[in-house]
Amino acid sequence: MMKDIFLMGLDALRSHKIRTLLTLMGIIIGISSVIMVSTAGTSVQSFVEEKWNIFDPTGMVVGTGVATDPPKLSFNQVVFTNNDIQKIQNLPHVKDAAPVGIVVIRKISVRDSFLKWRSAPGSTLYASSSILLDVLNLKLISGRIFQEGKNEVVITESTALIFGKDKPLKLNDFIYLSRIDGRLLKAQIVGILKEAGDESIINQFMSASIIGPVDPYYSNYIGSNAGGILHRVTAYGLLYVTATDKNNVENARNEIIDYLNSGISDAKKYKDTRYDFVVITQEYIISKIEQVMGVINMLITVIALISLGVGGIGIANIMFATVTERTREIGTMMAIGAKRRYILQLFLYQSIVIGLIGGLLGCILGASGSAFVVQVLNNYLQELGGGGFAGTITLIYPLEWFGISVVFGIVVGIAAGVLPARKAAKMDPVVALRYS
Amino acid sequence: MSNGLIIETNSLTKIYKTGKVEFKALDNVSLKIKKGDFIALMGPSGSGKSTLMNILGGLDRPTSGNIIFEGQNLAISSDNQLAEIRNRKIGFVFQTFNLVPSISALKNVALPMTFGGVPKSSRDTTALDMLRKMGLENWARNLPSELSGGQQQRVAIARALANNPSVILADEPTGNLDSATGVQVMEVLSKINKEGKTILLVTHDSSLKKYANRIITMKDGVISERK
Repeated sequence: MMKDIFLMGLDALRSHKIRTLLTLMGIIIGISSVIMVSTAGTSVQSFVEEKWNIFDPTGMVVGTGVATDPPKLSFNQVVFTNNDIQKIQNLPHVKDAAPVGIVVIRKISVRDSFLKWRSAPGSTLYASSSILLDVLNLKLISGRIFQEGKNEVVITESTALIFGKDKPLKLNDFIYLSRIDGRLLKAQIVGILKEAGDESIINQFMSASIIGPVDPYYSNYIGSNAGGILHRVTAYGLLYVTATDKNNVENARNEIIDYLNSGISDAKKYKDTRYDFVVITQEYIISKIEQVMGVINMLITVIALISLGVGGIGIANIMFATVTERTREIGTMMAIGAKRRYILQLFLYQSIVIGLIGGLLGCILGASGSAFVVQVLNNYLQELGGGGFAGTITLIYPLEWFGISVVFGIVVGIAAGVLPARKAAKMDPVVALRYS
Repeated sequence: MSNGLIIETNSLTKIYKTGKVEFKALDNVSLKIKKGDFIALMGPSGSGKSTLMNILGGLDRPTSGNIIFEGQNLAISSDNQLAEIRNRKIGFVFQTFNLVPSISALKNVALPMTFGGVPKSSRDTTALDMLRKMGLENWARNLPSELSGGQQQRVAIARALANNPSVILADEPTGNLDSATGVQVMEVLSKINKEGKTILLVTHDSSLKKYANRIITMKDGVISERK
């Protein structure tokens, strides 16, 4: 019975194709914008989480700068001592702390024979400990990690090619690094890192292309005249720290800030009072981006909901018109034995079908529309990166939103159809039959 | 039901109120309809014949009085009970044919069976039989708009017969047809009557009297019958 009435409803929709199509449009537009918003949102979000994953989710950068929101790092304060690193390492929610000494390299040279040298313009050497690789999510593709106190470095794949693709630097090769102060540092390549630089925006400008131990490559001293005697203490401008786990990132951050601002930290003594200690967590970066995206998502969602509402009103409107137009038909159906609830079902099914088909077509249109949007975003990203930044947003369809949208279409159909269908079902058959 | 009584009304009265004005459309109508009757209900417009037909057909309830349809008092039946009576025991034929325009002739004929919960296969067989009886089996798949007026009315008669009802109520069935087609339709009804179907014909066309075996005249809500 229900099936028969449902099929009759389909017949009625089919006999008014243009009207049905126009009514569908409202729902299709609403649903497809919901799909586009959710798909674009999910894709961009996953892109952000993946590509901005400059360090482990538990990781954070400790430095000095201005503690505004968002905080600004400045690189001109070199204040963190080995003692500080040790103390931070021992904080309850800190897993590891690695210093980062930035050593600017003027040129990189190799010695082919006694008097034959080749050189290439150098970049930056990160003097740190092996922990840094974990914190930055860097993976070795061959070789091993450097040892403290030895002339060993690991380099990225692209750095291995600075002398040309045909003459790549290999494991165990020796390179000579000219420091900006003129000192020549000899280094043996012990490991090659998987390229992460061209994937990550941060890595791109931080360009951690060569990483080696603090001893012997880093020497940055600060003078301290504590107690009237001048000490020379090794200090760093940046630290990379990891928390014990994802849930304790905020705890670790607070502990570090508390420690640094307490009287017992060396950094507090050496820091210029115009600067603050700044800790930027991975989560913070992502949360900032998500905050911005959240606002955009909300705006578009509101627009989508409004258009769905308008679509629903469109259905209700056309259903009222249809019911009025078919008054005599309703009277006839009642005369030949249709119960009131059949008439109710007949019209309700029609609006539900419009909602359902609108939902499905909206999903299809939204899916292709969001593919287009992501394409446009990718083109924009390419222009933004000037070709140097090769990141692309991968299209990710949030399947749950497809389900939600179809259900939503049906709900709108029901909501819009209830009143007209009730109007039809409540008709007096005598009056309805007389209607012209 | 014994002695072949299908419908019996006792002092049917129907009063319409518009504001403070009361209008008595039916005034103490007592009537017996027996199986096999072909009744022509005649009278000028406004005489109350449509009101009587609506009440006899279970579309409306009287203000007072009873109407016993095969043992069931329609005056106190619920909407759903009335719908079932209309579905199984009454076949309506309207002046304006009143076919559902979006479905085929076959589906139109099958519609009362659809509402009656008859399974599709036997529905289609019966509907096709009915159309064949009306000489319209070749038009089964056509939409009503593709049929002539006479054909549409014959589809409507087929529909009225679909559930094998006790009585056919025909309200001015020839009113929208030219006279030749009207005659055809009346002959169909006459033939059905001869096969044993009870027919109540509402008309103001006195030329149709000849098909009926009882002629009931209405005036100002009161019936009179010349025996």
